[in-house]
Amino acid sequence: MLKPEQMSRLLIVASKDQMAPVISELYSHHVFHIEDFVEAGAKGYEGFKIGTPLSGASEASGDLVKIRAIQNAFSISSEDFEAKERHNQSALQGLIERELPAIEKEVEDLTQKRSKLDTKVKEFEQKVAEIAPFVGIPGDLDLYRGYSRFVVFAGFVDREPSISVPHEMFFAKGKAKNFMVVIVPSDQRNIVEGVLQEAGYQAVPVPEESGVPQERITFYTSQIALIKKEIEEINRKLDAIKEKHAEFLVACEEILKVRVEKTEAPLRFATTNQTFVADGWVPSGSVEKIRQALVNATGGKIFVTVLPTDPEHDSVPVEYDNPSFAKPTQMLMDVYSRPKYTELDPTLTLSIVFPLFFGLILGDVGYGLILLAMCLVLRKYLKGDEGAQLLIVLRNASISSIIFGLLFGEFLGFALPWRPVIFSRHLNIGEHAAGHGPNIPELLMLSIWLGLLHITLGRVLGMINHSRQDHGDHRIKAVMANFGWLAVMWGLLIVIWSIAALPLMPDLTSLPKLVMNFNSASIAGALVLVIGVIFIARDSALEVVELPTIISHVLSYTRIVAVGLSSVAIAMVVNFMAINMLIEPQLGNITITGVLLIILGVFVFVIGQTLNLALGILGSGLHSIRLNYVEFFTKFYKGGGTKYSPFGLRRRFTED
Amino acid sequence: MAAEVVAAITDIELMKASQIGMKALGAGLAVGLTGIGTGIAEMAIGSAAVGATAENKDIFGLALLFTVIPETIVIFGLVVGLLLLFV
Repeated sequence: MLKPEQMSRLLIVASKDQMAPVISELYSHHVFHIEDFVEAGAKGYEGFKIGTPLSGASEASGDLVKIRAIQNAFSISSEDFEAKERHNQSALQGLIERELPAIEKEVEDLTQKRSKLDTKVKEFEQKVAEIAPFVGIPGDLDLYRGYSRFVVFAGFVDREPSISVPHEMFFAKGKAKNFMVVIVPSDQRNIVEGVLQEAGYQAVPVPEESGVPQERITFYTSQIALIKKEIEEINRKLDAIKEKHAEFLVACEEILKVRVEKTEAPLRFATTNQTFVADGWVPSGSVEKIRQALVNATGGKIFVTVLPTDPEHDSVPVEYDNPSFAKPTQMLMDVYSRPKYTELDPTLTLSIVFPLFFGLILGDVGYGLILLAMCLVLRKYLKGDEGAQLLIVLRNASISSIIFGLLFGEFLGFALPWRPVIFSRHLNIGEHAAGHGPNIPELLMLSIWLGLLHITLGRVLGMINHSRQDHGDHRIKAVMANFGWLAVMWGLLIVIWSIAALPLMPDLTSLPKLVMNFNSASIAGALVLVIGVIFIARDSALEVVELPTIISHVLSYTRIVAVGLSSVAIAMVVNFMAINMLIEPQLGNITITGVLLIILGVFVFVIGQTLNLALGILGSGLHSIRLNYVEFFTKFYKGGGTKYSPFGLRRRFTED
Repeated sequence: MAAEVVAAITDIELMKASQIGMKALGAGLAVGLTGIGTGIAEMAIGSAAVGATAENKDIFGLALLFTVIPETIVIFGLVVGLLLLFV
């Protein structure tokens, strides 16, 4: 909790003939995070070379490429594939050798044929488009060619040209453009060209066809229809292959992926002529288990040792270690950045604070229930770990909004039949116009209290982080500076309390005045504030410039109320428009217009509430995560740790 | 005498009404102007965020977050508006 999983650095040395069993053993345990060896002449690694892949590596990766090509053609992805039964690896092995080339050839032939037909369709469609303008002109397409003493102009014009020389013209008026064909003696060519230019002439090439245009078009369209039928047939065949082999293909992919990863693992090891060295990390709890397994697998011909670690300079991979209810929130942490190994992991606080803020902002039973239902339904369709985690986070957030909805007494913007348990957020709209209105000052103060506590927690975590990560003089200064920020914030707060009486806040205005109208509390507060500033300045004088952020960060938490109220306001306005203005007046005396107005009212209600729900989910989610990322994390969290990715694969479709 | 009292009361009522109107105007200006400010700020961030997301889909979450950062401005406006109207 609040700390990443503890890691130990493991060094494995053995002779090269033990490489295959060692890799196989490491792979099956799925805990060893390999530290890739780089030939940079690191101390203690002089003369070592990167290993060479085990035998069979290139065949396996060749096969893998083939399978992925077929999967691409079918758009199959193992991620959105439900594992029905696990296939036996050795049985599949034989199938890969026998069936894969045949399937590959079949698929390749079919896709090639399909792309050829596709080009043909395009070609014919082009021809149809070329002939189409000539449909309106009587006469064969042959008649446009082969004259020695005449010229043929064919093209689009803006208006009918008037040609003074002897000519023959066909004019077809169109909607957007007019099509025209003019045949004139060759020696009059220049004059006619001039006239046509004035009429906005755009030449159209005469298609290399013979026969009546309409007939040619009919011919080509029938050809296109035939080819399309053929393409459909091919698609059907491909679908049949997909149906038949999809599961086999994803299983093959998995096997080959395992084989490629295993055979290429030596590329990450350091080797000499006779031996190899694998360097990496395992969770400290698994060290003994993996050591024993390696010794058993090699018959004792191996040297495994735990190296001393230096958490600050080694890039220790980070694996979260959280209680199960906080695990889905790790996804929100990864969106920001994974914690460093030496840092506190704030996943736990995030998993509590995010739903709390979300609920406070959305705070509506109706919206909460809809979101909950959406999460439960989407879980069936959304595959993949990240999506599932996000849905669980949203589910918790929706439960929190239902709870706060009950407390605020809100259901889709309507009031629930009891007085709001905590503060009211009902605005004076519609039926509530005569109500006492929302408890805005109390709500604002509540959100400011949340901000103060959240930021204080952030600074305390910052003090812990600095005391763990820094050294010497700087360590004390950095911890004190974090304390200084807290002192300034609370000192300022005490001064405010002693000057003004605020709801939900201690009232210190009545204390006896000491000097110049200031009472003891304001003097104490000012003192704490000044001490805070001194602590901050001792660490870094430039930081003093940032002091105003204390106010803006605390005030930023008022968004919890502001965003929440705006969503309440939209819901109430939609309800007022739909029900009070459109539906209710019609119910007493139903007429045809009345029915139409009622339908309009229902429409306004559905559209308005849907939009408000979308805005509400987006707004609540973004603003509560933002309060964590921007206002909370900046106080203590840096992130940038390496992700722990153990060597191995969680198999879904196959087994040994 | 009575007429003067009535006139004075009407004056006071008018003044109160115009004060409420002024408050509403102030609240409207606070939300509207900060909304424009936020819009201008989000314009640049949003276009950069869309570009960055097109290059690398993984940063969508972070890009969305950057885009909503200037929303603080309009939320302050909204808070000021609420304070003007209700406190």
